[in-house]
Amino acid sequence: MNLDLDRRSFLRGMLNGAAVCVGLPFLDRYLNGNGTALANGAMLPVRFGTYFWGLGLTDTPTGGTRWVPSKTGRDYEIMPELESLKPVKDKVSVFSGFRAIGDGRPNLVHWSGHASILSGVAPAATGRFDGSSFDTRIADAIGTSTRFKALDIDASMSRQPISYSTRTGNTFATPETTPLALYTRLFGAGFQDPNSDNWKPDPSIMLRQSVLSAVKDQRQALTAGVGKADQIKLDQYFTSLRDMENQLAIQLQKPEKCASCTPPAAPKEAPRSASVDAVRANTKAMAKLLAMGLACNQTKVFNFVHTSGTSETYIAGQSKIYHQITHDEPIDAKLGYQPETSKLASLVMEALGDFLVELDAIKEGEGTVLDNSLIMAFSDTGYAKIHSIENIPMFLAGRAGGRHKAGQHIHVTGESVTRVSLTAMQLAGAPAGEFGSGTMKTARPITEVIA
Amino acid sequence: MLIKRWVCGVFIGAIALAVTPSFKSSAQRAGEARTIKPAIRRITESQYRRTIADIFGPGIKINARFEPEKREEGLLAIGSAELSLTSSGFEQYFALAISISDQALGEKQRATSVPCKPASPNQADDVCARRFIESYGERLFRRPLTESETLARLKTASGGADRSGDFYAGLKLALTSLLAAPEFLFRVETAEPDPANSGQFRLDGYTKASRVSFLLWDSGPDLELLATARSGAIHTDASLRQQLARMISSPRFEDGVRAFFTDFMQLDGFENLVKDPAIYPKFNQTVSDSAREQTLKTIIDLLVRKRRDYRDIFTSNETFINRPLAAVYRIPFASNNEWAPYTFSPSSERSGILTQVSFLSLFAHPGTSSPTKRGIKVLEIFLGEPTPEPPANVDFSKVRDSSQGTVRGRLLDHMNNKGCAGCHRRTDPPGLALEHFDGLGQLRTTENGMRIDVSAELDGVKFEGAQGLSALLRDDPRVPASLVRNVYAYGIGRKTEERDEAFLSDQTKAFANNGYRLPDLMAQIASSPDFFRVVVPDGVQRASSNGRGRIGAPSKIRRKLK
Repeated sequence: MNLDLDRRSFLRGMLNGAAVCVGLPFLDRYLNGNGTALANGAMLPVRFGTYFWGLGLTDTPTGGTRWVPSKTGRDYEIMPELESLKPVKDKVSVFSGFRAIGDGRPNLVHWSGHASILSGVAPAATGRFDGSSFDTRIADAIGTSTRFKALDIDASMSRQPISYSTRTGNTFATPETTPLALYTRLFGAGFQDPNSDNWKPDPSIMLRQSVLSAVKDQRQALTAGVGKADQIKLDQYFTSLRDMENQLAIQLQKPEKCASCTPPAAPKEAPRSASVDAVRANTKAMAKLLAMGLACNQTKVFNFVHTSGTSETYIAGQSKIYHQITHDEPIDAKLGYQPETSKLASLVMEALGDFLVELDAIKEGEGTVLDNSLIMAFSDTGYAKIHSIENIPMFLAGRAGGRHKAGQHIHVTGESVTRVSLTAMQLAGAPAGEFGSGTMKTARPITEVIA
Repeated sequence: MLIKRWVCGVFIGAIALAVTPSFKSSAQRAGEARTIKPAIRRITESQYRRTIADIFGPGIKINARFEPEKREEGLLAIGSAELSLTSSGFEQYFALAISISDQALGEKQRATSVPCKPASPNQADDVCARRFIESYGERLFRRPLTESETLARLKTASGGADRSGDFYAGLKLALTSLLAAPEFLFRVETAEPDPANSGQFRLDGYTKASRVSFLLWDSGPDLELLATARSGAIHTDASLRQQLARMISSPRFEDGVRAFFTDFMQLDGFENLVKDPAIYPKFNQTVSDSAREQTLKTIIDLLVRKRRDYRDIFTSNETFINRPLAAVYRIPFASNNEWAPYTFSPSSERSGILTQVSFLSLFAHPGTSSPTKRGIKVLEIFLGEPTPEPPANVDFSKVRDSSQGTVRGRLLDHMNNKGCAGCHRRTDPPGLALEHFDGLGQLRTTENGMRIDVSAELDGVKFEGAQGLSALLRDDPRVPASLVRNVYAYGIGRKTEERDEAFLSDQTKAFANNGYRLPDLMAQIASSPDFFRVVVPDGVQRASSNGRGRIGAPSKIRRKLK
């Protein structure tokens, strides 16, 4: 548990009052970066996002891999399950051979893998992490100059809203689960068009600020006599309240113009369905909205869930769900893998392709929103049939404003997934020198992909 | 600003006003040092909605997305007790607070909402604002506000009135800040030194009132219950029992029972239930909502209105249906009302709540039934026996493809697999007995052209089909024991521990002696000292008779092996 309040308040202090659309070059390396810069020399904002899908990709112990390229470096070949990444191949790095290490803790099915990637430690119990997820550290570092510190999106149509972003390890972020809800959050009440010529501060916002200070005044009395666990809960409450205060403060500032921001029309509400097609369409629609939300500078950090660890998606008319198929389908002796599972994995990756293409479709400066972003895409397992947490597929997509030497395949043998997480943190601009604990503790980012 | 207004008033009065708060709050500080807060639990969506309706009337519209809950040890009441508020959650509650204040203090409703008239509607009025803040604050925080809490809101109200030139605009801000406060959004339980047991704590009267009220009404205490907390009468057995009897005979008791069974039977799962329309064309949101409502109506009718034996819910075929459900059950619906009573015939194979669409569709896959899911839930919910997580490294290679035959064949493969058999041998039989109902709960006798065998065996007892399973459950002593444990855990908001076992066993016996009547069980639990027992949390100083506190010992909470 590392809430690191002091650092956060320090950074907020630094960022308050910063120009909104133009990122603040507060770290030296941004000044020296070789990415796309604005005409006035300032860097375009770098965004960070996680993208999660459940049930891994196909890499059977018998050697039938459907996603790990045989070549490393820039000339990696597109494998069958990665076909959909072809249009953005130069902007995506593929990481293979990384694993979650339990240090004696059991492999909690469909949980230990992504919990390790995000929190740096294999969790003791399903449903919680033993620390905060690292996206919150990035949000604290780069997310305070936008209206939303972070946005959480769940396209999976699961029974419960899915998010793996957490500050306490217990309470997970509440995601938007439909395109309409995401649209309303981003572009509904409270949205201020950065390109509007007649911007005026809304006086009701100032009145709202006084509401929050009355709540904050009582913090000391409230926390007196409280136990440890409840203290953490209240800390999170007051962090959330501060995020709201920050949001109000930003809404009182005139937003910088954003050339690429054109607010979209409200999407229609679609009937709930968890078929593979419906979830893919949902992912695409929400990616489009998110991309414009980024271009309109509403947030710099997001967490996107395509499907959950135990994905309940299905092919319409087929009685079994994807999750069941990964376990039940036998390996085809001739092919060396499970054909139906591999087909489903390809469909899932098509959604990731759609997602990245949507971010790449919005031009920004000399590049695209994707060029100015870093997205870490990953799953909960390697080979789902046996709940393997070896060789969990991980990708870094987007050039991070030139910081990410994208388009490579990095292969290791059995190293900790936290190395990729640490790399992502550093590329995204979080002040992190090391990450993880136990065997998964690392201070070694993957330097091959860092410019 | 506030001070200025006081100074403008009668001078002596102003001094008294200005001095009293600080005098009081230092006295309070001394008092606070002796009180502890054993638990802080976020209120649920239904508790939020009912509380707002209780205080401001049912006309207030509540349109927001609430924070998701989390189930632990079978109950949201336990899992959600661990949760806080996320940023986006706070955003929602804040927007909701603004919307409720706008409605409650809008032009139409303000006359009924505000207990006084301001001297001028265009200016701050601390006297009237204070009356409003104190009376609504007590209802929302479920205890009187401290002077400092009142003053903070008074400042907001007068500042807002000054800026906007509108008394009510200022009052709206004060109300918004009460509605966005953690003291409202969380149940902050407080314990004070127990006068009867030196060195021990007891829950304070207001915390006791909340425990009782949330259990029985799924809402905060009403004025009468708050009064017994204020007078301290709630600490006496007679007064407490009198309040329990009053609350159980109120129609609002049905709200409490609904909330409990929604949690206990995991009916919240209907909010996001999906089915493949290609396989179950009859399923839609209306069917989903109706299925949940049918089960709740059945339970309220049997257990509250008719005060029947709890175990009858497994065997009684008296229920209620509406038109969308009639289509799924394939029975006629002739009533002009939205819902009509209905009794399934013995030949229908239906038998109690396990055979209602709710249980059958909730615990199934989008395109098939799932004997394993259903079996796990029968064991977990009704028998109180949770199933461990499946092992990670299971060899599924022997599991056959099952596009043919019945599901029983595939599960037999699990039974022959060492890693799986331990659990599947227990989880599958109750589910296999329910296999005459498909993933939506529609009756069928064949799957892929083969007859479905619904014979099963559990703990050495052989039985046949849904009716056999239901009869078995009705007579299983674990069934009432599981209900007792869950009512208690739900009420106290934490999982039960070893030291609760003797109490639970006594309560189970008393439940049997009362003819397994649910209202009596709830009254019995809510009137027992164990219901109010204080568990000092980690990191809090315990009370100590010699005045020297010591740091609480590490929690003895046992992690059940799931």
